[in-house]
Amino acid sequence: MNHRGGLALIEQTWLSWMQHRSFFFLLAFGWMVPPLIYLFVWSTAAGGGTIGGLTRGEFVAYYLVLIVVNQLTYAQTNWTVGDLIRDGRLSKLLLYPMSPLYNTLATELAGKVVYMIFAIPITAILALVLRPELHLSAGQVIAFISALGLAWLLRFFWGYWLALLAFWITRADSLLALQDALIFLLAGQVAPVALLPGVLKTAAIALPFRYMAGFPVEVLTGQAAGVDLVTGFALQIGWTAAAIMLYLALWRRGVRHFTAIGG
Amino acid sequence: MTQFQIIVQDLTKTYRVPEREPGLKASIRSLYHKTYREVPAVKAISFRIEAGERVGFIGPNGAGKTTTLKMLAGLLHPSGGEALVAGFTPWQRKPDYLRQIAMVLGNKSQLMWDIPAHDTFRVLAEIYHVPASQFDATLGELVDLLDLGDLLSRPVRNLSLGERMKCELAASLIHHPAVLFLDEPTLGLDVSMQRRLRKFIAEYNRRHNATVILTSHYMADVVELCPRVILIHHGELLYDGPLAGLSEKLAPFKLIRLALREPIDGNLPEGIHIVSQENGSLTLRVERRDTAAITAQLLRTLPVIDLSVEDPPIETVIDQIYQEGAI
Amino acid sequence: MLQPLRLIRIFIETSVRNETAYNANFWVGLLNSLLNFGTGLLGVIVLFGQIDAVGGWSFGSTLAVLGVYLTVGAVRDLFISPSLDSLTGMDGEVWVGTFDFTLLRPVDTQFLASVRRWRLFALFDLLLGLDVLAAAVTRLGTTLTAIHLITFLVTLAAGTLTLYAILLAFSGLVFWSPGFLFSWVFDGIFQMARYPVRLYPGALRLLLTWIIPVGVITTIPAQALTGELSPVVLIGSLGFSIALLVGASLLFRGGLRRYASASS
Repeated sequence: MNHRGGLALIEQTWLSWMQHRSFFFLLAFGWMVPPLIYLFVWSTAAGGGTIGGLTRGEFVAYYLVLIVVNQLTYAQTNWTVGDLIRDGRLSKLLLYPMSPLYNTLATELAGKVVYMIFAIPITAILALVLRPELHLSAGQVIAFISALGLAWLLRFFWGYWLALLAFWITRADSLLALQDALIFLLAGQVAPVALLPGVLKTAAIALPFRYMAGFPVEVLTGQAAGVDLVTGFALQIGWTAAAIMLYLALWRRGVRHFTAIGG
Repeated sequence: MTQFQIIVQDLTKTYRVPEREPGLKASIRSLYHKTYREVPAVKAISFRIEAGERVGFIGPNGAGKTTTLKMLAGLLHPSGGEALVAGFTPWQRKPDYLRQIAMVLGNKSQLMWDIPAHDTFRVLAEIYHVPASQFDATLGELVDLLDLGDLLSRPVRNLSLGERMKCELAASLIHHPAVLFLDEPTLGLDVSMQRRLRKFIAEYNRRHNATVILTSHYMADVVELCPRVILIHHGELLYDGPLAGLSEKLAPFKLIRLALREPIDGNLPEGIHIVSQENGSLTLRVERRDTAAITAQLLRTLPVIDLSVEDPPIETVIDQIYQEGAI
Repeated sequence: MLQPLRLIRIFIETSVRNETAYNANFWVGLLNSLLNFGTGLLGVIVLFGQIDAVGGWSFGSTLAVLGVYLTVGAVRDLFISPSLDSLTGMDGEVWVGTFDFTLLRPVDTQFLASVRRWRLFALFDLLLGLDVLAAAVTRLGTTLTAIHLITFLVTLAAGTLTLYAILLAFSGLVFWSPGFLFSWVFDGIFQMARYPVRLYPGALRLLLTWIIPVGVITTIPAQALTGELSPVVLIGSLGFSIALLVGASLLFRGGLRRYASASS
């Protein structure tokens, strides 16, 4: 694989993104709103007391971290992969002496930087105004960083294999909309997973979506600890491995299919 | 006065564009103190056009042709001057005025992309209050003249550029406009499609006595369609009259083409400029008033097989004005 | 007199043809509608699984807010957004330049720009919204009097008008900044109308009530349904939405004048 070519591509992509940053700031703003709504709803609901063991300040902390984590792990490039396949531009990328995965990764990394330029100052201001309660230990921070990295990998490759279904299904991007809705419900956006009612909670713990956004936040705020933490990491690693394998299998078959029908 | 369909007096348009200086300091300063630069696009032009005339606006890019056209169509508000089209001031944009005119923009489409053009036509008929019987008659005529055939029932996105342009023209004629503004209607079309559209425009103009104003970069459009041209350059009206007069006025010379039995080595008479020389053929440029005398002299002194006298090609003439910016 | 209605009819017909050009869109639309409905409903259910009331809002009355949100949103998707959105953005008429054709039509430009595209699928969303409203009324256990119903319908209309005015104003801004997606900013803020404004902290509540009045759009009709609306607020919200509509029209017309004097 051609790693230097990949790096040059990343740099170039980043530069072009910075020129359109207001457009991406708008995207970032849109993604920030749902967790922000539930931040206000839950912290108002908690008032002076607690809900499910969480105080107002803890809800604020949970959702502020979630806002940042959500922006970091949101794999918006998954949407464009399907477009590349549908309109045949993929054939141009297949001509380059490196995997098209680099192209997606370049956009992904460039995007993260732009989104953080927007999200971090705003989250910091919100933190000053809303006074979150967060008690950190070094162990939690280290565990959080690992969980965050895994969450990004999982969300990226999970979305990527779904997007690759565009090789065979015309409107595969509907599945991405479905995934976004499931992440909203099950990954700790509508409420921290611990507060979900019975069936939803069980589903949230078993399915991959919690491990794409909510789980790292729970690790940092200390909601996931002990046995919970260990099984959480095990499930996160398992789902990530599954997503990567699905990606590899579908990519090989997909390209064969694509070249066979001539794009 | 009233026999004129279009009366333009001292029409002027000046754009105000924000001045941007390079550098961070300047861009911060411009946040609270914007400086503007006045860019004159059309400078006090005046002309009159009778009903049923076909007039070509010519001039290089950025000369002010499209700006003038847009002011006459009511899309732009002028900075000064007057205009009266079909008895209306265009930029008041009265519905009664808008029903009298139509505009075709060669690089933009008014048709809905995913459905057949016929559906767009029906919407337009409703917008322009075209009664059903008149709609059918007009459409029949347009299908006939433009040879639209089954094009109208195919989704617009499946049409070729030329086919689409025929539909665009038809769409702008559904309501029988009295004045037709055509801005680069043949842009990007192949030669035979250009010729078809020109034929159609001429025929439509003849049948309905519609006034046609056209801008085009293809001189062939202007040569074939417009008995009268208005030359605009740097926002000023440089010439208004027949096309032939333009080349007479602008190019005070003629071309003489000669075929010779043997190459010549001697000197040519005074005042002759050799444009090209190749084997036995020779092209000379001579002053218009000297043409007869020089032709006689050449026939006498050179081993001539064949001789012809021509006007220089209009493209060359126009190019000369565009380059020199004056007549 | 009937001309506007006849125009709207032909716009609807044409839009239906336009949509049926893609069959697959039907299933995608259905999926998106159900997702929007499902996530909204589950959000309220999850919240009230933990608590009985928040800031004076019970499960039933919060459900009423969601019902109004879905209903008004459906009207927006029915024609307001499809029509106005074709002006804005990088592929919008103002940016591309095809807005010239819209200006050439002998019909009021604001009217034309507001009603020319329809998305009839939104009627399904409307149905879902009305379902949630019905569930809210059942849940509240109040009997609806005629007065209740009328004030509700009046405030709902005022809310829809407010929404239209805001979207029109945002579209008008496109004449100052052709590529900017003002409606996206509003999309984000409008989502906050899923919940009663009472649930948001002070400054944000003021912003949502007065500056970008999404609160007027959903909270006030929901209060009318639960019978908690004072006549002062009723008249105030009506006057407010009319004032907003006038302001938005002026802004839009100002934008048209700017377009006519500055475009090249």
